[in-house]
Amino acid sequence: MAEMWITMGPQHPMTHGLWTLRVKVDGETVTDTEAELGYIHRGVEKICEARDFTQITPYCDRLCYVSAMTWAHSYIMAAEDLLEAEVPERAEYIRLMAAEVQRLASHLMWLGAFGPDIGNLTLMTWCLRDREMFLDLLQELGGSRMHYNYPRVGGVKRDIPIGWADRMKAKVKLFENRINEYEMLLDESTIWLVRLQGVGYATAEDQLNAGVTGPNIRAAGVNTDARWTNPYSVYDQVDWEPAVEKPTSVKGADCYDRYRVRMEEMRQSCRMLLDAIEKIPGGANTHYQPGDEMILTKAPTRAPEGATGFSTYECTRGVSNFYIQGGGDGRGKNPYRLSIRSPMFITIPYVAKTMIGYKIADIPAIMGSFDPCIGETDR
Amino acid sequence: MGTTVTKEQNAEAAKAAADNLNARFSDAGVSTDVVAHKGGMKYDFVRITCSPDQWIGVAKHLKHELGVNHCAMVTGTHYPSGDDGRGWEVAYHMHRWPITNVKAHTMIVHEGEKLKGDDIPMEFEIFIPLPAGDSPSVPSIQDLWEGADWNEKETWDLVGIDFEGHVNMHRVLNPHDSPVGFHPLQRQHKIRYHDYNEMYDDPQGFGRKPVDEGRVK
Repeated sequence: MAEMWITMGPQHPMTHGLWTLRVKVDGETVTDTEAELGYIHRGVEKICEARDFTQITPYCDRLCYVSAMTWAHSYIMAAEDLLEAEVPERAEYIRLMAAEVQRLASHLMWLGAFGPDIGNLTLMTWCLRDREMFLDLLQELGGSRMHYNYPRVGGVKRDIPIGWADRMKAKVKLFENRINEYEMLLDESTIWLVRLQGVGYATAEDQLNAGVTGPNIRAAGVNTDARWTNPYSVYDQVDWEPAVEKPTSVKGADCYDRYRVRMEEMRQSCRMLLDAIEKIPGGANTHYQPGDEMILTKAPTRAPEGATGFSTYECTRGVSNFYIQGGGDGRGKNPYRLSIRSPMFITIPYVAKTMIGYKIADIPAIMGSFDPCIGETDR
Repeated sequence: MGTTVTKEQNAEAAKAAADNLNARFSDAGVSTDVVAHKGGMKYDFVRITCSPDQWIGVAKHLKHELGVNHCAMVTGTHYPSGDDGRGWEVAYHMHRWPITNVKAHTMIVHEGEKLKGDDIPMEFEIFIPLPAGDSPSVPSIQDLWEGADWNEKETWDLVGIDFEGHVNMHRVLNPHDSPVGFHPLQRQHKIRYHDYNEMYDDPQGFGRKPVDEGRVK
């Protein structure tokens, strides 16, 4: 049969965003693919050259609306490296908890979007229900539901409110039981297993060489996680271990392993949250006023020419990096150049190539299992 | 407790990598330093500065001798008013992580504190200054790290750095029919409000003053 090109996207449920996957098919079998990105390129890097270091945080929130908190923190870490800012320990604990709540919300959004890809609509309603709990927690910190503008150079904008600790503990404990419910729903479902097992193999070394990081690589049997390989914040003081899955084949992790590793990662985030709230310096039910030295230290606002800042941060989809050069407009008030490394920008072309040899019907399963997010891809 | 990499391990690995690079490349003029982050936990990383024609040699050494297995990002910067020696700069950021393939139904659980030698995670930052001019160019490392492929495409697309030997170079973020030679992160392209401080008071520019003549709005 003659081969032909099919265009999936930019409007297609598989894409989880706005991009195009061009697929060359021979009958039902994929023989070649091409990813086309850039549909929502907003020029964030250029915009940031005309903003000062505080004004940049909201732009970084909007890199990925599913995971705004981790992206803002990733930027702030690079800015602190550039501006030589110190962070109080209480603020580090708050940041850790904010990022882990965001990780739960983000993985729930992934699972909720992945369910309908595979034919399980119940999952979406369940996941969005639980995600609201965590968005409410984040809203209490940042003031809005999705884009929080929460971290500041040298600390955080506001302390955790009174009662936040109790609400968080209750929600996390409830959610720990809900994860078991999800697994009962999914792991007993024949459709779920048949569509995920044995498709989309990717080995650890291949993925890393191609730049794929985060849960996708931990699914292939290695516990590499930037939270301990490139330590930051207080991850060395709280109780957790990186989620890692045993791949089912020498060919590496399949879609099912990638699903399993994210479920485990949610459990680890819960464990971390419950431990961090007990250990937080200054007490879990204390509220320091904004600007208090327990949560924010004064930091310089200008960086000289030639200074650089670089951060390696474990975002929900992999390792994100920011690289900032000081000495821009306004006598160093703005960055001269700010560069963003999005894990998904590298992952999507790689995933497109791993689909070769599978059937068209496997494409949503393979693509969805890598958790694409186009906001951060196109920047 | 979560596992971690200690400061001693980190300092030891950074020094070992820098010594290794200096022993091999310092005669050729490649400078290698151990630099500490100034924020966060202040861990060390390795900073290398080399010229474009030394780059492939350094890159191969990094990959095959020092075990650098992740090309994280490629950043191009334009310095229109820079010194004669530096009109452009390409910065590479790379990681070394202890990652190997596993057999089926097994996994590797590293304990950070017990890692030794080349298994200790490390960051590498490579600066390649390029002379001023219209055609900045560095050799491509696409065939060493597959992950550099799309990073280089992006850097060419946005900044206009040519990567010699890069196969299948095309626009990735800008529209595919963008004019030839249009690379928006070059400094001659101004966005609105660059160097213009009244953006919040006067978004439409009705109150422009003679002093703003010629500025981009």
